[in-house]
Amino acid sequence: MKRFLFIAVLLSAVVLFAAEKYVWFDENTPYLGSDATGKYGGGIVVATLSGPRTMNYIVAKETSSTDVIALFMGYGGTLVELDNYARLHPCIAKRCEVELTDEGKMIVTFWLREGIRWSDGHPFTADDFVFTVNDVYCNPDIPSSTQDVIKDSQGRLPRAEKIDDYTVRVIYEEPFRLAVRYIGGLYIWPKHIAEQWVKDGTFREKWTVEAINNKELVGLGPFIPVEYVPDQYIRAVRNPYYWKKDAKGNQLPYLDEFVFKILPDLNAIKLAFENGEIDIYGVTAQFYPEIKAKAKEKNWVVGTGGPTYGTTFITFNWNHNDPVKRSWFRNEYFRKAVAYAMDKEAMIDTLLAGLGVAQWGPVSVLSPFYNEDALRKYPYDLDYARMMLQLGGFSWDKDGNLIDAQGNKVEFILSTNAGNIVREGMCNIIRDELAKLGIKVTFVPLDFNLLVNKMLNTTDWEAIVIGLTGSDEPQGGRNVWAQKGTLHFWNFHPDAAPGKQIKPEIYEAPDWELEIDRIFAENVKILDQKKVYELFSRFQELVSEHLPLIYTVQQLYLYAHKADLNIIEPTAFGGMLWTLPWIYWKK
Amino acid sequence: MLKYIARRLVIAIPELIVISFLVFMIMEAAPGDFLDQYKLDPSMSKETLEAMKKELGLDQHPLVRYFKWLSGAIRGNFGYSFYYRRPVSKLIWERVAATLSLSLTSLAGSWILGIALGTFSALKKYSLVDKLLTVFAFSFIAVPSFFLGLLLLYLAARTGWFPIGGMISIDHNTMTAWQKFKDLLWHMTLPATALTLGSMASLMRYMRGSLLDVLNEDYVTFARAKGMPERIVIFKHAMRNAINPMITFLGFSISGILGGSLFIENIFAWPGMGRLIYQALIQKDLYLVITSGLISAVLLVIGNLVADILLALVDPRVRLT
Repeated sequence: MKRFLFIAVLLSAVVLFAAEKYVWFDENTPYLGSDATGKYGGGIVVATLSGPRTMNYIVAKETSSTDVIALFMGYGGTLVELDNYARLHPCIAKRCEVELTDEGKMIVTFWLREGIRWSDGHPFTADDFVFTVNDVYCNPDIPSSTQDVIKDSQGRLPRAEKIDDYTVRVIYEEPFRLAVRYIGGLYIWPKHIAEQWVKDGTFREKWTVEAINNKELVGLGPFIPVEYVPDQYIRAVRNPYYWKKDAKGNQLPYLDEFVFKILPDLNAIKLAFENGEIDIYGVTAQFYPEIKAKAKEKNWVVGTGGPTYGTTFITFNWNHNDPVKRSWFRNEYFRKAVAYAMDKEAMIDTLLAGLGVAQWGPVSVLSPFYNEDALRKYPYDLDYARMMLQLGGFSWDKDGNLIDAQGNKVEFILSTNAGNIVREGMCNIIRDELAKLGIKVTFVPLDFNLLVNKMLNTTDWEAIVIGLTGSDEPQGGRNVWAQKGTLHFWNFHPDAAPGKQIKPEIYEAPDWELEIDRIFAENVKILDQKKVYELFSRFQELVSEHLPLIYTVQQLYLYAHKADLNIIEPTAFGGMLWTLPWIYWKK
Repeated sequence: MLKYIARRLVIAIPELIVISFLVFMIMEAAPGDFLDQYKLDPSMSKETLEAMKKELGLDQHPLVRYFKWLSGAIRGNFGYSFYYRRPVSKLIWERVAATLSLSLTSLAGSWILGIALGTFSALKKYSLVDKLLTVFAFSFIAVPSFFLGLLLLYLAARTGWFPIGGMISIDHNTMTAWQKFKDLLWHMTLPATALTLGSMASLMRYMRGSLLDVLNEDYVTFARAKGMPERIVIFKHAMRNAINPMITFLGFSISGILGGSLFIENIFAWPGMGRLIYQALIQKDLYLVITSGLISAVLLVIGNLVADILLALVDPRVRLT
C-alpha cells in the first residue's frame, strides 16, 4: 500500500513538473514524529563492531563513524528526511518548491522552520545552510565523496543563495532529479564554529574522536556524543535544543541517553543481547532460529523486515588474457547456462536458514524503480542449462566434460573472499551444479585485499562471487554500470581500468552495455519520474537478459529487540532506529 | 655492568631499524593496501580514491615513505594511523594501560602458580597429585587460548556471572573508587583466567622438568649425603639452578606483554594493544603495524637484557663484560 502511495506522489510530481513549478511539500505536510506519543526517561544500548574513526562527516567513510555522527547531525538535523521506506518528508524545511527556468536551470527553494537552535544554543538560520552547501560540500579544497553525489550529469556542483534568514535556494545549471533528496539531506554544519576551519584550511582535521570527550560537538540532531572510551563505548546525551516536538507539544527525544557499546565480534554481540547488556540486535541468519525460539521466554520482539539492499553475484572476466577463456565468458549462452544451473533454493535453505529471497536483477526489490515484469528469470533447470550450452556452441566429450567448438575443455577458477561463510557456501553450490554440466570449477577462496586487487588491477582472474552495497536509488550504482565506471570490473574500458591493464585491441562493448551507459547518463536530467521508471525498467531488462552479473540470493533484514522498547516497523532501509527521537521504554 | 648494558642498547639500534624495515617491506609485499576496503563501494568515485591515496601518502614510493616514517620516528613522531586519522603514538598510549593491567596480572599469576605447582609436581614425582597436575597441564597446553576464551565467554553468557567483554561498565564514570576497582576486577576475571591458564600450564611443565634435572645432579646427592636438611637442599641449591632456564624464558615473556594477548583481547573486547594491532593488520594500517612491530622488538631487546642481568645475579658462573 505504502509503495502505491509513493508512486502516486511521484506521478503527481510528473503532472506538476509539466507546469515548470512544483511544490514538493508545504506547511501542511507533517514532519516525522509529529504524531508521536511516549514517555520520557531511560536510555538504550546498541552494539557496534568497531569504534568511530572520526566525528567529521566529510572524512568519515564507514558506518562505525557515520552511525555515531548521525546522532548529532541526522535524525531530524537535515532539511528533508526519509522514512523507513525511503519516502521523502519535510524536516527543518517546512516547504520546498522546484522551478525550471527558461534558461534550463533548476532552482530548488527551501523555507526553513524558525526558532531552531544548535545544541550549544546558537540560533540556526539560512546562513548555516548556505555555508554548508557553498563552503563545505561544494568547496574544491575540501574533497569529499558527497561531491560525487550532488554533481549534475556534467559534473557541475550547485550553488546556494540566501533569500532571507529563513529562505534559501539552490541553483543547478540543468535539471537534476536527485537534488531535493541529496541537497536537502545534507548534514548541516554550524557556521559559527566551522567557518573558521574553512578559512584556515583545517576543516578536515577538526572533530576527530577527541572532540567527543572535549565536548566540542555541536549539532541539530537529537543526541550529542559526550563520552568516548576507546574500544569500550560512546555515550550520547539528549540535545537540550532539539527542535522536534511530539503530538502533545513535548520536546523530543524521549530517551535521556544513547550508548554504542563496542563489541568486536558477532558472537559476542549475540551473547551480550542474550545477557541483556544491549537492547537491540541485528540478527544474523545463522542465529535467527535460535533467537526466535527464545523470544517468548526472554520477552523479545523478533522479526523480519523485507529483503536487504546488498547484492551478491557471480561475474566472469571478459578480458581474460587467455583468448579461449575470454570467448567462453563473453558467450551469453554460457552465462545463461550458469544462471539456469544456479540452485537458489539450496542457497536460501542451507546458507540463509530459509531467510532469503532469490534475486534476479540489479535494482533492489525495495526501490520504487524495481520492476519485476522487466526481469528475465532463470529458474533452476539443468536441462535448460544444457540447452543453452548447446546453443552457445559447446558440446560434451566421451567422458562427459564440456568442450567448446575448438575442443577445449571448459574449466575455470572461482574465487571469493575467504572467511565469508555465505559466499564460500555459494561458491561450493555453484561448483557442484556446474560439475553436473561437465564444467570443472576450482574453488579458491582468497584474502579480501588480494581478491579486490585481482579484480580491479589485473586481468588475472576468471570468476568471482562478490557483493556490492545497494540502495533504493539505482543511480547509486553509476560507478558499476557506466561504460567507464570504476567498478565495471567484468569489462573494464581500457581508459578507465584502474590498473590500465586492458589492451584496447581485445576490448569489446556490446550495444546493450552502451545503452545502459546512456541510461545512467541521462536519467538524472529527467524530472518526469515515469520516464525514469521506464528507463530503469529497460536497464533491469538488459541486465537480466545479458547477465554481466548473475545474481544469487539476498538475505532478509532480521531484527530483535526488547519487547518493552517502542520500536516501529524496522526495515532494511530504516533499520530499527529510524524513529530514534521518539523511541521510548513502555514501562 | 653499566658498560655492558650501554653496549647492548647501542647494538640494539641498528637491530631495531632492520626489524622495522623488514616489517614495512612485508606489509608492502602483501597484496593490497588500506584503500582496498573502499574500492568495492559503488558510491566511492575514482577521484575520491585518488584524493585519499594522495592524502595518505600512498602514491609515494615505498622507500620514500619508509624513510619519512623513520626520520619521524627518531624524533618521536610515529606517523598517523590511516584508520583512526590520529597519531599512532597517541593511539598506542591510550591502550597501553589496558594491556599492561591484563598482561601483568596474567604474567604474575601464571609465573607464581606455574613455578609453585611445577616445583610441587617435581617434588611429588609420579604421585597421584603429580599425575593429576600433568593431565591438567597438558589439557591447557593443548587447548588454544582463544578457544578457552570462547568457552569462558559462553560460561559468562549462560550464568550471567560475568560481563560479555569490555573492560568497564558503561556507568563506570559515575562509580566510587572502590566500585570502579571492583568493576575492573569483575571485567578482568575471565580474560585474565584465559591468559593465565595457558601459559601457567607450560611454565609448570618447564619448572617440573628443570627441577627434576637438577635434583638428579651429583651435587644434590652430595648435599643430601652430607646430611643437609632437605628444605635447604631444594630451596637453596636445587631451585637456584633450576630457575636459570626459566629466566631466559621470562625474557621472551616480557616481549609479549603488549601484543601477546591478541586473540583474548579480541574475544573479550578488551581495549588493549592486541586488538589495535589485530585491526591494524587486517586494515593494512601501515604505520600502526610498523610501530607496534617496533615496540614488540624493543620489548624483546629489553626482555633479553633483563633476563641476562637476572641470570648474572642468580648464577655466579655468568659474567657480564
